[in-house]
Amino acid sequence: MKARALKYQAILWQHWPRLNGDLVVGLTLALVTIPQAVAFSVTLAGVPPHFGIYAAIWGVLFCALLNPSRVFHGGPNNSMSAAIGVILLPIAPPFGAEYMGYALTLGLMAGLIQLMFYAVRPLGRMLDLISEPVINGFICGIGLFLIFKSLTTFGGLPLNTEVEWPLWIAWHSFLALTEIGNMYAIEIGLITLVTCVIAQQFERLRNWAILLGIAAGTLYSQILTATVGLENTGVEQIGNLASIGFITPSLPIFRQEAMPDIIAIVPGAVTLALLGLFQTVAAMRRMSRKVGGFTDSRRAIFSDAVSNCVLPFLSSLPTCASFNRMWLVHRLGIHSRIAIAISALWVMVLVLFFAGVIAIIPMPAMAAVIILLGINMLKWEDIKPHLKNRREAVVFIGSFLSVLFLDLFEAVILGSIVAIAYAKWEQAHPNISLQGNVLKIRGNIYYGSLPVVESMYHGAIASRDKLVIDLSECYYIDHEGIRWLAAAKRAGKATFIDRRSGSDRRGVADADTADGSSREPGAVVHRRSKPDRRRRSDF
Amino acid sequence: MQPRTRTLVKIGVLVLAAGGFYLLAAHKHAQREEVRQTAVSVTPACVEKLSRYALERGEYYRSPYVVQRTGTVSTRRGYGDEDIRAIQRGCNIMDDTQGRQATDVSRERWNATRFIRGNHAACSHCHQGIGDKQDAKGNRLKGSLSIGASWVMADMYDRFTGLLLPFELRQMQCYINSSNGYKPNIADDVIRDVTAYSRFLSAALDLKIGNHYDEQGIDEIAASDTLKQGDDYVRGEALYKHKCMSCHGRQAFGLEANGRLVAPALAGPNAWNMQSRNYFYYVSTILPGFICRNMPLGQENTLTNQECRDIAYYISNLPRPAGDRQGPIVALKQQFLMTVMPPLLRLTSPDDAEKPAHGTRERVQ
Repeated sequence: MKARALKYQAILWQHWPRLNGDLVVGLTLALVTIPQAVAFSVTLAGVPPHFGIYAAIWGVLFCALLNPSRVFHGGPNNSMSAAIGVILLPIAPPFGAEYMGYALTLGLMAGLIQLMFYAVRPLGRMLDLISEPVINGFICGIGLFLIFKSLTTFGGLPLNTEVEWPLWIAWHSFLALTEIGNMYAIEIGLITLVTCVIAQQFERLRNWAILLGIAAGTLYSQILTATVGLENTGVEQIGNLASIGFITPSLPIFRQEAMPDIIAIVPGAVTLALLGLFQTVAAMRRMSRKVGGFTDSRRAIFSDAVSNCVLPFLSSLPTCASFNRMWLVHRLGIHSRIAIAISALWVMVLVLFFAGVIAIIPMPAMAAVIILLGINMLKWEDIKPHLKNRREAVVFIGSFLSVLFLDLFEAVILGSIVAIAYAKWEQAHPNISLQGNVLKIRGNIYYGSLPVVESMYHGAIASRDKLVIDLSECYYIDHEGIRWLAAAKRAGKATFIDRRSGSDRRGVADADTADGSSREPGAVVHRRSKPDRRRRSDF
Repeated sequence: MQPRTRTLVKIGVLVLAAGGFYLLAAHKHAQREEVRQTAVSVTPACVEKLSRYALERGEYYRSPYVVQRTGTVSTRRGYGDEDIRAIQRGCNIMDDTQGRQATDVSRERWNATRFIRGNHAACSHCHQGIGDKQDAKGNRLKGSLSIGASWVMADMYDRFTGLLLPFELRQMQCYINSSNGYKPNIADDVIRDVTAYSRFLSAALDLKIGNHYDEQGIDEIAASDTLKQGDDYVRGEALYKHKCMSCHGRQAFGLEANGRLVAPALAGPNAWNMQSRNYFYYVSTILPGFICRNMPLGQENTLTNQECRDIAYYISNLPRPAGDRQGPIVALKQQFLMTVMPPLLRLTSPDDAEKPAHGTRERVQ
């Protein structure tokens, strides 16, 4: 028995440095998540704070268990919470029993729709069409959005209830902050912000930076309360969460008489499901690349879907990836699912045993932390590569501006459409050059690009008896392209050359031999020696 | 640059930026305090209104209106200098929201124009009589949007959203009507001063907290209050030309003369937007209710319910700005309509456009 205890002790000592790091990161994450959970549920979704807190506990825990990504942090999400408020507002008054029941039903329906995205593979695959410039534009937009949205809380001002265009909000929030902001709140916010940034400059304090910032802000707030009095400072604090228990079971509404309302919120459930999945897939791909890993997006879809099917029975808001908290995990430098699971446990411990301590954390300090996260999401080294390529720049800027002028869901859809459309447009315009009697085609020959290719071909053939068409840098030819090339060959005015290297040719030949397939004139040959599966024509 | 030097420079820049921001905020706060302590230049209409209700410094306030109407004396807590300045500023904002009578708009109207689209809308266009409309005998009028009566129903449930809205958020609804993309923060002085004025009116009129009075809000007119002929654009247009065009103009863009606003715009860039509750397609009972009880000026309560609904229906079909939450595409579409429709209308009916109906010229002059 003693030997076993000693063995466990040794293991603990061996892993202590790592575990210590996980505990600190988990605590930091928990402290950042709690005010977000309270704010998202009360101000955005129109449900009591325990909905957000349970999402921060069970949502994060389920995602940590089911999602293999090392940086994935689920839990309450601002755009999903806002969507719940918008969808349910016409159905029932917020904070009422019916409203909460419909919120749970909405979450469950969204979870089931997400499960369908997992079960029907092509549906889930569609989510992969979101390209990196779209995701980065999205992240930068959200970063700026977080800064704007936090300004009023930073200045100790009440939140306005209406949603307007964020850029306009930013400017007027800034003006309101300077003109009518609570100076005590501004002082607390600035102290928190400056402490965080200074601590981040020192390697040994980096993991503790946010905790130190919150501690400094809270300490200053307490000094103000002791000297000036809370009634005079008027600084909002997180408030007491002591009434929240370990678990609160709940049942979504599925009564016969509620069916018309439930049917009315089905389109909202689809929007909510897609909003969650888009963010999850986009955030996970982005962050996995940041840490040099890869996680299949289907696993993330599965994790979200299962979590969202279970959470409505635990009085919780739905979950999806949180860009800002995942960014925080990355910034803190510990990429581990254990740290994320620990953060959920920290939330539980803090809410159950330290509700009184959490209660005194001032909201301006939390707003300062969110502003810092927003600033960290605007990284020039992530933006710069997209501005070097025109196509990527258009997609990136389009996606970035869409977040600022439209809502998040529309931004992803618009960004993806622009990315796909631009890629198609480029493919439809191959680079064709005519030197002497050689017509070189760089790009694809397919139904979309054939009019461009044919135009050049007929222009060239009109002034020349013989033409050589160089297909060395032709990546892909579809069936329509093959038929046109065959017709051009039959016309007898063109010959085709392919200046690929000998090894390339052998690769094609070897692949064919290995397949044991016969090669007929005009048949399309699939090159298997390269991962991009280029198609080439053999004439 | 050495890493340590770089770190020190970063920290220095950050501290300077934070300090600069703090100093800017302190400076703006000092400016605001100065405005609040300065004597208020009150508009003529407000001078008349406030002196009629005997607003002055004192330990107790006794309203002459109450004495005159009931013969009894109602004693309430009096007002200090700061209260009086807040009430005066609130009255100014109600009467002259756009600061047309002010010498320094941003100081005297506390940036109220910042939150309003166009240069026509003022609180008193809907809340007539500076929020306290009475007939010649001093009777308060039904459906006249009295803000004193509104204050005593402070924190009421909003029947559209089911939310318990405090008085400040109900004022916000007014800003949504003609929003410039951003509403004032509910802690803003624009809201606080109007609240102070509303409270004073409720004291002056001796209105009791929690009571509903006829003059509060709109006397809404639903389709069920008519003979159910259906709302008609053509009838509405004919009625508009006959009853409203002389003041509001052929295309309902309002009339201005010598820098003075004769009648506010009911359509076009200076009018309320498509998310306003005045917009017939959003709420179909409010604008007809306002028209029936408050229009035409001097001939209130002369239009039938169906006529009011027809006029409201017609007006709401004219181009106007999009609401904040309708997004940039709808905003662009509305902007396009507001630009294209007026010249098209002038082309298609030049007589109407060029000849204002009788009475307009006289009013303008």
